[in-house]
Amino acid sequence: MVKAARPTRADYYRALADSLPPQALVVTSLGNASYLWAVLHHAPENFYFEDAMGLALPLALGLAIAQPTRPVIVVEGDGALLMHMGALVTVGAINPANLTVLLIQNGVHAASGGQALTNAELDLAQLARASGIARADNIARPEALAAKIRASTARDSAECLVLATEPDLDVVRPPAVLEPVSTKHRFMTAIGAPRYIPTLFGGGRLESA
Amino acid sequence: MTKSCAERPDAHRPSEVLNTLKQLGFGAVVSVPDGWLGEMLVRIEQEPTMRLVRATHEEEALAISCGIRLGGVRTALLVQNAGVLSMGAGMVSLAQRYQFPLLMLVSYRGTPEDPVFYHVPKGRVTEPVFRGIGLSHTCVDRHRPIGPQVEQAATYAEEASCPFALLLSREDVQW
Repeated sequence: MVKAARPTRADYYRALADSLPPQALVVTSLGNASYLWAVLHHAPENFYFEDAMGLALPLALGLAIAQPTRPVIVVEGDGALLMHMGALVTVGAINPANLTVLLIQNGVHAASGGQALTNAELDLAQLARASGIARADNIARPEALAAKIRASTARDSAECLVLATEPDLDVVRPPAVLEPVSTKHRFMTAIGAPRYIPTLFGGGRLESA
Repeated sequence: MTKSCAERPDAHRPSEVLNTLKQLGFGAVVSVPDGWLGEMLVRIEQEPTMRLVRATHEEEALAISCGIRLGGVRTALLVQNAGVLSMGAGMVSLAQRYQFPLLMLVSYRGTPEDPVFYHVPKGRVTEPVFRGIGLSHTCVDRHRPIGPQVEQAATYAEEASCPFALLLSREDVQW
């Protein structure tokens, strides 16, 4: 739930950066969710969304399925979640233990200038539990987030943490251009994803298939 | 080409679609079902080398597919053409923008051969919309074996680094 005197996105991000488990993969939604994370913890294992609002969560679910031995952390906004709430149900149905969903609940569409949400007061943790994600909590302190992240590798199911957050409407300038195709290639190289071998070279398959 | 090139003319086409996906090393299928696709999904669920993900919406399914492919697993999207109509924003701003190679196997509802009248409005606009959003696609040739056509579509997606939609008739996918 949105409360008074909430921490900022930067407060949570610093706690996340300090507590990231080894080999973690981080998927960030559009706008400051990506720009600020790039400022604080730019890494090849980050997948930054340029746009595609509401699709960071389902993409992270797919990544968690494909990379079951690596922790996958996704940062999604409350407005973005409302656009594709069904993704919570799909996460709940699959419940990958390596997936941690961080929902920035700031009560506004921050990436587009702070317009009001359809409903800013929803209990998103309750919504996650009703969607089949038994581990779902409202978080109001960065230290609590860090403790959850540190404990995340011992879980047996997915977790959703709803972070009560002060809106940040000023656009943060990232340290580098977050060009989408470069982001994808950098990420896939970092995780050692198999390359596709073209048919001209006798392939037509991924190299390990 | 895979062994599916030698497909018999009277082969069971849905079986050949599934066999081709397995031969090409597809590790995952993400789907929102329709009346033609239901049994195919059950068969995929029974495959030990493939993972079926049942999504709640086709744009969500598209993003899940992108995530699985990002993680290094070859992925097919199995949806109805109406579902592609509803995933336009994700198609252009995620799948195409990031150049994800995705094989899209799309049941082509609303053609003159489809007996279900309410699919007609979607059938009429399917290919114009695909062209409008720049989605590479082709219709299956029912007079040719289906396996090689699936393989060609999959190869195109990978070698052009983009989603590619293969529009399928009922006999291609309904088990």
